[in-house]
Amino acid sequence: ATSGVFSAVGAPSNMQGSSSGRAGVMTDVHRRFLQLLMTHGVLEEWEVRRLQNHCYKVHDCNATVDKLEDFINNINSVLESLYIEIKKGITEDDGRPIYALVNLATTSVSKMATDFAESELDLFRKALELIIDSETGFASSTNILNLVDQLKGKKMRKKEAEQVLQKFVQSKWLIEKEGEFTLHGRAILEMEQFIRETYPDTVKICNICHSLLIQGQSCETCGIRMHLPCVAKYFQSASEPRCPHCNDYWPHEIPEVFNPEKEREAGGSKSSRKSLRTRQH
Amino acid sequence: MLQKPRAHGRPCAQAERECGDPGEEAPSTSRGATGSSQGSRASLAAPAIGQRTQKQLDLKVAELVQFLLIKDQKKIPIKRTDILKHVVVDYRDVYSTLLKLAAERLQYVFGYKLVELEPKSNTYILINSLEPVEEDAEVRGDQGTPTTGLLMIILGLIFMKGNTITETEVWDFLRRLGVYPTKKHLIFGDPKKLITEDFVRQRYLEYRKIPHTDPVDYELQWGPRTHLETSKMKVLKFVAKVHNQDPKDWPTQYCEALADEENRARPASSGPASSS
Repeated sequence: ATSGVFSAVGAPSNMQGSSSGRAGVMTDVHRRFLQLLMTHGVLEEWEVRRLQNHCYKVHDCNATVDKLEDFINNINSVLESLYIEIKKGITEDDGRPIYALVNLATTSVSKMATDFAESELDLFRKALELIIDSETGFASSTNILNLVDQLKGKKMRKKEAEQVLQKFVQSKWLIEKEGEFTLHGRAILEMEQFIRETYPDTVKICNICHSLLIQGQSCETCGIRMHLPCVAKYFQSASEPRCPHCNDYWPHEIPEVFNPEKEREAGGSKSSRKSLRTRQH
Repeated sequence: MLQKPRAHGRPCAQAERECGDPGEEAPSTSRGATGSSQGSRASLAAPAIGQRTQKQLDLKVAELVQFLLIKDQKKIPIKRTDILKHVVVDYRDVYSTLLKLAAERLQYVFGYKLVELEPKSNTYILINSLEPVEEDAEVRGDQGTPTTGLLMIILGLIFMKGNTITETEVWDFLRRLGVYPTKKHLIFGDPKKLITEDFVRQRYLEYRKIPHTDPVDYELQWGPRTHLETSKMKVLKFVAKVHNQDPKDWPTQYCEALADEENRARPASSGPASSS
């Protein structure tokens, strides 16, 4: 039980309606985990495991650490009544699992709204539209900056806009590659619903997993698209990769499948990610 | 599989501003009265007082929880007027209930206590029920705030000098650490602004002009947030650690800190712990 202005009872109040089945139980381990999770915009799986272990250590040294999936599902069942969840996704470029706390009830860019000014948000929106419209999933810096005059809010010069774009990269909303920008996994996790609703005609979908697709490969014959990790998985043991839709030869290089085991062995450091053979069992 | 609110759901007031027309089925909880029909969309139209569904209330509480978390993250005390304006809007009649439910969720789910900054101020902050641990810093995503170090030093200074100190004394002390009011600092940026504006706005410090001083001088004391977030004993322990000594080496301050601990331990009548 807690004291304070509102004397709260320890157990969850009767937030019924949306709950189907029992909500999980929060302990201080889960609370610390959530608090620290919220200090990140997005986390890689190994960082999440490290965080989980840390929280167990602080509160409950001897207990066996729950399987990560169960741990997160437990927390999510409690978060349900607040219309947020810890969502797991995969990075589009190399299939690494990532996690972010996302809003289920609102589908706009509202989480960004608190950190950026109106004109900055509008710049992001413009970049987002260019990215979605593009063939490659990338929008060039030049094209984005050319839209600076059309922005709502306080007038922004191109120089400032360049810095704002860098802010987006630093806070993991955008990724920059050779002067071009695409969406970070974090943005996709947070905004997929919003994007699919707002741009239903131009949005691209992966033929395999049916999720939003920003970067990927496409069939030159029939036009279907697939995420790089989806391609890797689908063609894993294929001697002759063929389009799942029209059966034509798949014209692109098949990427490697992300192997979390190798990642963990290497201590989760980025630099140790080596190119792996895909033909493994 | 549970029924998540449909994607069109957009209870967040900000969302509406940004997205323009939300489309048909928007179970927004806060709409201007639209001459609501009680027909098929009864549960979604602007409700008459008392005719809100549980789901709408749940959504409202969820919005409020998020609002409080975000505001507190920036260390801005949250005013009741802001809550009413941005979140509660047309649910004013159930404001207290919503706030109470939000507080309950904040405590149960996140371990944050919603506390009034000063009794009857209608301004709130979140206090962590969990004790921060040094190793937290290694797994945080936001590098904590480097300015916390400077704040701790000032709080220590104030307490050790008898709970009040002049701005002149502060700079005399900080100069020795290479921190100047007029010089940009590598870690703290603008120390003068930090101390006399930012920390004051965040209610960690009180900053008052001392009358009849020439040149004008100001006094600095602990603000209400400091009293709520930490304690004299904790600050004394910090000071002792910095000097590699024991808190008892300062008997006056130690006694004062003990008395403060006793005050806090006494069952709270209603409001938060008052300043000594």
